[in-house]
Amino acid sequence: MAVVDVAPSDEPLQYFCKSKCFSQYVTTKAIKRMETYRVRGSIAKAARKLLFPLSFGPSSASLLYILDQHLQGQYDRMNRAAYELIVVHIDLNLEAADRKQSSELLDQYKSRFPRHTYSSLGLEDALLLDNIDWTALNMPEPLQNDSKNTGMDKLQQLVGSMPSATSKTDVITTLLTRLLVDVAKRNCCESILFADSTTRLAEKTLTETAKGRGFSLPWQVSDGMSPYGIGFNYPLRDLLKKELVIFSSLTIPPLTDLIILQGPSSHISASSKLTTIDDLMAQYFQSVEENYPSIVANVVRTSSKLQPLSGDETAACGLCGLPVAEGTDGIDGWGGDQNSASRASEQQDGKHKVLCYGCSRSING
Amino acid sequence: MAPVPCAICKTSRALIIRPKNHQKLCKGCFITIFEEEIHHTVTTTKLFSRGDRIAIGASGGKDSTVLASVLKTLNERYNYGLELVLLSIDEGIKGYRDDSLETVKRNAVQYDMPLKIVGYDELYGWTMDQVVEAIGKKGNCTYCGVFRRQALDRGAKMLGIKHVVTGHNADDVAETILMNLLRGDLPRLARSTSIVTGDESSEVRRSKPLKYAYEKEIVLYAHHKKLDYFSTECLYSPEAFRGSARSLIKNLERVRPSAILDVVRSGEDMAKLVPEAVTGISHCKSQKVSLSSADGEEEGAAGCGTNGRSSGGEMADMEKKLQEDEEASSREVEITSKVPNGVNGQRHDRIGAKPESRNGVKREPGKKLTRQTLGTCKTCGYMSSQDICKACMLLEGLNKNRPKMEIEIDVEDEESSTLRRKMEGLALTAA
Repeated sequence: MAVVDVAPSDEPLQYFCKSKCFSQYVTTKAIKRMETYRVRGSIAKAARKLLFPLSFGPSSASLLYILDQHLQGQYDRMNRAAYELIVVHIDLNLEAADRKQSSELLDQYKSRFPRHTYSSLGLEDALLLDNIDWTALNMPEPLQNDSKNTGMDKLQQLVGSMPSATSKTDVITTLLTRLLVDVAKRNCCESILFADSTTRLAEKTLTETAKGRGFSLPWQVSDGMSPYGIGFNYPLRDLLKKELVIFSSLTIPPLTDLIILQGPSSHISASSKLTTIDDLMAQYFQSVEENYPSIVANVVRTSSKLQPLSGDETAACGLCGLPVAEGTDGIDGWGGDQNSASRASEQQDGKHKVLCYGCSRSING
Repeated sequence: MAPVPCAICKTSRALIIRPKNHQKLCKGCFITIFEEEIHHTVTTTKLFSRGDRIAIGASGGKDSTVLASVLKTLNERYNYGLELVLLSIDEGIKGYRDDSLETVKRNAVQYDMPLKIVGYDELYGWTMDQVVEAIGKKGNCTYCGVFRRQALDRGAKMLGIKHVVTGHNADDVAETILMNLLRGDLPRLARSTSIVTGDESSEVRRSKPLKYAYEKEIVLYAHHKKLDYFSTECLYSPEAFRGSARSLIKNLERVRPSAILDVVRSGEDMAKLVPEAVTGISHCKSQKVSLSSADGEEEGAAGCGTNGRSSGGEMADMEKKLQEDEEASSREVEITSKVPNGVNGQRHDRIGAKPESRNGVKREPGKKLTRQTLGTCKTCGYMSSQDICKACMLLEGLNKNRPKMEIEIDVEDEESSTLRRKMEGLALTAA
């Protein structure tokens, strides 16, 4: 714990002249969040299974590196490990060539960090989930065998039917989360380790707020049990994105070859049609992070203080699956709707499906 | 190209694209639907009762002018039975208020409403120009905001009126929500979303009937109704957090027009998730009525063009403070972990030496929750969550001929404006 005497984190390299110190600082911050996964006692217990979603970004690459070392340390000292990682990559690409590239990259990860279990799925596998209300999305139920269309076609069709770029991103993110939860459950994992940095969590806070999903924040940014019955943990929540980018270049050998850097949102172009709320927030926090890193962290601390409502009647949203308090579903019938007829007509059709405000907004534009 | 017919009446030619949902409407239908939506808000939230006397906080700006016009229209159309009065505050800023007060005076004639103008000098013994002379151009928005909020309530009291309505619109509310997230201010986040503050027991209630109305639609309404309003920006400095939140809101609106309303909705939902320990508001109460709003800082009042509170260095100041906190708290952790037996005996300001704070999940520096409860100021008797209300604190400082609250008097002029430019640039690049 030599690194606690840490200088302001806005210009890491200036303070950590030796990259070793900086790397240790990053590692310590992450491992501190893994305290519940220490090896305890002398009796060997079965290792706890944790799902590790790997996106090939700098954060998840860094976290995998850190945890791999952590596990090595546990083996070295105790000859056993407290947890094991089930690494999964969900491929969001719809082009065959891109998919090939991803699977090659995943092979590189396998050879670099061989002790873990690896698997890869396409996002279209989310279309097979039976706990999503596909009718709300105007999609056929997964069991209806539609041999003409492949999963990828169907996914393309679904995403293409969304009314805006923001809605497309939103539904993709939602499907990704649902798929990860499903994979975690099928592999008997107790938790999912998300590699979200402070910066990413701050982005998420404001993005979800802007999408009308403020109600869901207690489950989006806090460590602990999610409403899906699987724990969500964010071991990198105390590290800035830029710190992780630097870290990933300082490991020996560097992780650079394993990382696909998302372009610096260059596609935030003149056309607001193609820009998403997610892009806006990413760009916003990228710049706030430059000058005001503590404010980024403070946003996350603030949203983490929100507590889930207890005791209210809730129903799961048909798309994102998060609990929606009774009478608060949909985009109609609240104060800001200002149209007294909308709610009544919606309920008349008998088949009133529950969608949260955010999902409802995404689907209906 | 054939003219597009109005989406509502299908007969007239559509001339207006509604900012809120891009519906194409004719002028008449737009004016009607704008008014009907305010009517919907007023009736569903049971904002008024027959016979109420209502003071409209009037600055001469577009929001309060539209509010006065719409309330007059609805009061007559739906027979609300309200007695409407215009209430204006004269902050005593030469060249800023003179013209807008003239506008309000004309409005009083146009709408046939009584007008009361209350001056800072008669309420506090200081005009804003005198305040600025005493403390400089920075940080004076704090004084202005705190004074104005009380001024409206005190003015209403003078008139024997128990309900003040202000022109805050959806953009203002959304901006305040994002700003409070950026500033990490949960108590204000919780309070700022309710349409009414104060309840039956409070002397003066406040409400914002335009809470769900888009600023752009307010401008359109004022334009098409040919309302007489005065557009000006306050001469004094803008404030970094609000400025940053504002441009974010504008960009969000461009990407997805519903986003302003969606942020407001998020804010309302989040208000219910703020732990009671933070707000002092019981969740059993209706979410629409929140008790403590007395400190008067949660929102820039409609009259202030920039809604600013203190100058551009606010973000940098907060950054500095947060970093110092973090450094301090990380040192505390270091000490406790080396003294295993001392943990329970030691008190920590920041971390709280509870056992669960060691499980790695809850251990957040700065997680101290401050409880706020409503009382009255010992000096002036005005509602306040502190012993002495903010206005009296500020006044005490002023009267000693120096500011009591340190509002970044240590930052150089130049530095501050550079920072502000940086913040603006930052906001602009996100366009």
